[in-house]
Amino acid sequence: MRILLSIDDTDNLESRGTGEIATLIAGALQQKGWGSPGMVTRHQLLVHPDIPYTSHNSAMCFVAQIDEGSLERVIAFAGDFLNNECAEGSDPGLCVAVLDRLESAGELIAFGQRAKLEVIAMQEAFDLAGRLGVHLSEHGGTGQGVIGALAGAGLRLWGNDGRMKGCLKFAVPGTQLTVAELLGHPEVDLVRCVAGGEVRDCDLVEIGEKPKTVLLDGASVLLVSALQRDGGGACWQTLPRKQLRGY
Amino acid sequence: MWRIDRKGNREFTPGKESWDAAARVARDCSSFAADVDEELIADEQRSCYNCRYRRWSAASFTCQAPALAL
Repeated sequence: MRILLSIDDTDNLESRGTGEIATLIAGALQQKGWGSPGMVTRHQLLVHPDIPYTSHNSAMCFVAQIDEGSLERVIAFAGDFLNNECAEGSDPGLCVAVLDRLESAGELIAFGQRAKLEVIAMQEAFDLAGRLGVHLSEHGGTGQGVIGALAGAGLRLWGNDGRMKGCLKFAVPGTQLTVAELLGHPEVDLVRCVAGGEVRDCDLVEIGEKPKTVLLDGASVLLVSALQRDGGGACWQTLPRKQLRGY
Repeated sequence: MWRIDRKGNREFTPGKESWDAAARVARDCSSFAADVDEELIADEQRSCYNCRYRRWSAASFTCQAPALAL
């Protein structure tokens, strides 16, 4: 079965980040032989004075293919992990959604989209999770992170929000790779021009610092822009960090 | 460069798109500490926008560093 596992509000100003905790849970899931996790994505939620968050109010989510009998083990492990590892003053939340059992994907997606625009109460998150048959639990503090955890799952399911945690390690800054070579890696589903231009498999892309993909139309997309100078054969370049900020 | 918000926090007045100013302030700040990789948004590694002590607000960010070196 395919699951979405999403966490939020696990850190404080001094601790390791929520993304690292998501990566550790994903790694443990694989090590224990319970399933195969995909990449972790970061989802920006609303920044508002009425929402308690440490620094950025972002949720972290990954998809995993797990064995039919491992669901309860995965939920228990992730919950215990959050109980033990989360930082003082944090309000962690955990969401695990089984994709083929999801009652209404549209409602979960709409919740995620709203959490980018509105302040939402915890009770509403629990009500929706109960109605959809999604696991949602709090793991310390006020438990407010359940809102972001559920929203993160909805946004990942939507497939048009968020960017990958980390960067494409195979793509060394300063080198050039063809689009076909980039597509040969499982972390890259598509290479797309941010301005809408046509990108061909034979085109060369100049790799900038820390290249990373974003989620668009459910795919892991490496966005590129036209290279404005002589690129020694390359006609595209990966986007700098500041241009990825909105994803 | 800074104002005090309603909660007494120091808010960066240039806002969220002043990349040069954020880099300049961070260069002279003894409290700067880079945030985790997934939260870095500025291409200049040393920038208030990349600091783990910045807390994003609707219009800008507030500095939560233990001591602010201006």
